[in-house]
Amino acid sequence: MDLEHAAHAIDVTGMEKTYPGTRKSPPVRALRGVDLCVDPGSVFCILGPNGAGKTTLISILSGLLFPDSGKGTVWGRDILRKQREIRRIVNIASGHPNLPDNFTVNETLEYFGRLYGLLRSDRARKADELTRFFEIESYRNVPFNQLSTGLKQRLVLAKSLLNDPRILFLDEPTLGLDPRVCLSIRGRLQEWHQRSGTTIILTTHQMDEAEQLSDRIAFLMEGTFIRVGDARELKESLRHRERIVVRGKGLTHAAEALRAVPEVRGLEVEETMLRFELERREHNLGVVLGMILEHGARVEHIEITEPTLGDVFVELAGGTHPG
Amino acid sequence: MNWQAELIQASAFFYKIGLITRKRGFHVFEILFWPAIGLVSVGLLTRYLQLGPDKVAFVLIGVIALSVLQVGQLDISYVILYSVWNKSLKHEIASPMTAFHLVFGAWIMGIIHSVLVFFLLSGFSAWAFGFRFLDAGPSALTLFFLGLVLSSAVIGVVVIALAFRFGGRAHVGATSIVSIIILLSGIYYPVSVLPQPLQALSACIPVTYFLEFFRSHYGFEPASGHLLLKGYLLVFFYLAASVGVLQHSIRHAKMSGVLLKMSE
Repeated sequence: MDLEHAAHAIDVTGMEKTYPGTRKSPPVRALRGVDLCVDPGSVFCILGPNGAGKTTLISILSGLLFPDSGKGTVWGRDILRKQREIRRIVNIASGHPNLPDNFTVNETLEYFGRLYGLLRSDRARKADELTRFFEIESYRNVPFNQLSTGLKQRLVLAKSLLNDPRILFLDEPTLGLDPRVCLSIRGRLQEWHQRSGTTIILTTHQMDEAEQLSDRIAFLMEGTFIRVGDARELKESLRHRERIVVRGKGLTHAAEALRAVPEVRGLEVEETMLRFELERREHNLGVVLGMILEHGARVEHIEITEPTLGDVFVELAGGTHPG
Repeated sequence: MNWQAELIQASAFFYKIGLITRKRGFHVFEILFWPAIGLVSVGLLTRYLQLGPDKVAFVLIGVIALSVLQVGQLDISYVILYSVWNKSLKHEIASPMTAFHLVFGAWIMGIIHSVLVFFLLSGFSAWAFGFRFLDAGPSALTLFFLGLVLSSAVIGVVVIALAFRFGGRAHVGATSIVSIIILLSGIYYPVSVLPQPLQALSACIPVTYFLEFFRSHYGFEPASGHLLLKGYLLVFFYLAASVGVLQHSIRHAKMSGVLLKMSE
């Protein structure tokens, strides 16, 4: 196989992982037969509630954790037998930005540049390029423990690009950052991806982040992928859960009639407003509006809200809203 | 294999422990202060006890050897313990580094620090207590020193292996191993004063042979022959075994998820 042009960036099947129990806690089954295929150059997002197995999966893929069973490749290299080769061509960044405490930005990049075997001239060039790219140039002589959380995160991201990874694993990269910093970091990541074509595997709790950055999104629940698709496909799957808001007068009688319609769910009634979800809207909206008018209501405004990725998450996670 | 890249990777740990030494005052304290205190206090004890020059030499050789062991192992231990304390270990393990890079890079810095401490203590012992370390000659000195720094590497590697198993508490392991060496390998007294079963254990510790070898240059009769051969065979065996244990510990940490927990 031509390893430089692998057919899949990641290709794993039947990945299982159970963390052994201790005297105080039982074993935890984190992954239950995960199958995953990611195209080179794409951005793949893994969504799921806390404890779904997201970090476990990307830790296995990045060589930080061994699976109990399953097989697969990362850029054509066997995940169990070619770990060191894999670690050469991938890198990680997580939302818990922990790096050596009192090393400055420069020293941190120098240290990790050496760990990836970069020549002195390459280390200097990459440090210049990445500190400029992540706008931390003016902090190059500041120790890590004196940086703000946002700057620490930028440094972790700069570190993660030192070796020009073919696959970059980002585990909740904007966790705990204020919205302005989140936006800036997402912009940088998007730009880097467009510029370099790096495959990105991202876990996040932020739906807008998943939607903005990802080509494909997978929902991981209790160690299994339960749905995979792009944002549009996933929202499409909840088409039946479109929310209808009707504003007007004399809606109370109509509401009583709507309760008997099986396609109408989650009906909320206020004096001048009805809010409900409607299955198969394209078929049923006319019927429902007809019923409202028949009961003497005067309709002034109708609003149809499409499901968001957050709604898909809530639906799949059984009521747990992300974040 | 790209040797240049391999050496650069090993140099990462040399660079790291250099930074730790420069920035962490406590590390400098441990490298210089405790060995100096040890030498002065034991040297003064020899005066109080009115020991003759031969006994002074015997004891001070032990004290300086102990300092070299301590300093050498500290650099190897701290290169990983520091990351455990900072919770940054996973970023390092996610890189293509190996146990070889880690041990070799940190050990070279350990040797530099040990040479520094060795010469400082030797100079001080000559000035304050009239004991001249360099009288044994350069070849004896080199072989003795090399044996000690190899032994210190074994201790350091074991401490790192413990760190991958038990996290930051592993530094207790360093103290414990050095204490056992003090007890068994004849740092302050000849091994012959130990009870018979403990003498059997002493025979398994390479430092015992390196001390006997070096003391033989000051007129002390060794208990057995082929001291250097035994010492080096043992120390290389332990070094290989400890690297094996370290690799097993890293594998265990990746299997059990301890590595991730240490970085949370």
